[in-house]
Amino acid sequence: MRGGLTVALSLYLVGLALCVAGNSAKGSSALVRTLKSKLFSPWMTPAWLDLGYDTLLTHGRAEDGDHRFEIRRLDDPTAPEAVILPGPAMHGERAARWRRLARATAVSEADPTREALLPAAVGQGVFAPWSTNDVSLRVMRHLPPDRRDVIDGLADVAGRDGEAYAARVRRVGGAVQLIKATPREELAPLVGEPAP
Amino acid sequence: MKGRGQRPATPALADEIGATWMRYWFTPAGPWPLALVRILGGLLALALWGSYAWDLETWFGPHGMISPALLDAWRSPYAVSLFDGTTTAAGLPVAYGLGGLVLLALTIGLATPVTTVAGAVVFASLLHRGPMLVGPADDAVAVILWCLAIGRSGDAFSVDRWLARWLGRPAPAPSVRTGIALGLVRVHAAVIAGAAALAQLGGGVWWNGTAAWWLAARADSPLVDLTGVFLQSEYLMNLVTHAIVIFEIAFAAGLWIPAARRVIVPAGLVAWPLIGVIAGEPSWGLAMAVLTLGCVVPGESRESR
Repeated sequence: MRGGLTVALSLYLVGLALCVAGNSAKGSSALVRTLKSKLFSPWMTPAWLDLGYDTLLTHGRAEDGDHRFEIRRLDDPTAPEAVILPGPAMHGERAARWRRLARATAVSEADPTREALLPAAVGQGVFAPWSTNDVSLRVMRHLPPDRRDVIDGLADVAGRDGEAYAARVRRVGGAVQLIKATPREELAPLVGEPAP
Repeated sequence: MKGRGQRPATPALADEIGATWMRYWFTPAGPWPLALVRILGGLLALALWGSYAWDLETWFGPHGMISPALLDAWRSPYAVSLFDGTTTAAGLPVAYGLGGLVLLALTIGLATPVTTVAGAVVFASLLHRGPMLVGPADDAVAVILWCLAIGRSGDAFSVDRWLARWLGRPAPAPSVRTGIALGLVRVHAAVIAGAAALAQLGGGVWWNGTAAWWLAARADSPLVDLTGVFLQSEYLMNLVTHAIVIFEIAFAAGLWIPAARRVIVPAGLVAWPLIGVIAGEPSWGLAMAVLTLGCVVPGESRESR
């Protein structure tokens, strides 16, 4: 009995070590990745144990700031202002889950295998409750100020908001279309009229 | 020269490792530390479970944001969730409600051999239904629930124990299963703390002492506003930043040294919730405190671990 338990515990501890090494945000080696995915992920993933536990809290990057959605319906000019999620009435873990969803929406755009999936899903998710087929979706990212800038009077301690992602999501003939807004800095500068 | 029946000589180190392994994993443990982990971990699991309640339909409903098609592209092919089958507007709240009842039964210690396993399964299922909503507290609580499923967490402070006493059954003896569960709690407490420290040290802000500022200056996450204090004192900001990392490393290592454990475990019960508050992850801080509670070594039998 103890022999069997020893084998089981040893296997689990090896799996745990490989999961931590293989799920690191810094990436992992092909060897670790292959061993983990072939031998351990099949039984550790369903139990929600295939985890890296790399709780970095912050690295001071823009994507480590708080994120939120601003969703506005476009087919009704009389509609109220954009709905903000998490809203001011949301607190605690509920608000944190909305922030995570907003962050995942913005960050996943850099992943070619997941690009556009979440924005389309979030936009589509408000179609039925809002009785609409056309919304604009923005992910706003709070950018905390540098401490030195606050001390020098160059920035406000409240920080500022930046647009991390924006798109229009609409349903036309049953098909959902996502029209991604191009960030302004990616547009060609306007060329003025040549002087006579 | 060896006589007949004499054991062959084995290296002393191998013997020592084997003995330490057996002592660590197979020493029977009394029920109360795991029972406390069950109650507090169960309450935390209920709180995390409850945080889905208001938006359940919005996220997971038939027309919700996180559709099965999205999940197919998002999560591991090995991921499964009991909630994948709840495709109707009525089925979802029923499944969610039943899951909450399982976690409630686990917390009060009702039918614990069944509800601890079922609790771990339903909790993992909910996380798999929306992996992009999951935070570090969910990860830690999932681990706690699996540890509860392994040990005999209903042997104390539980409805089960109350019923057994009412039926005249004797108090349960210390159990190897509970010892294994508490051993796993300690392994995970150390791994989560160590992995967090390693992840943090991958960023420059944890070296230059400004991480505490970046945590405090966020718009919504922080529970307390420490920006004013950190603006006043750079040294304090540096101290808080370094203290978090040093504590995590000391915690991960100290759990394995008996003399250090007597200090680091009580310190962890205070420090983890504080770190959670500063970092804007209070649930994670509490989950780590619950894991720390499982590292308490109450009696002589576990003193040698």
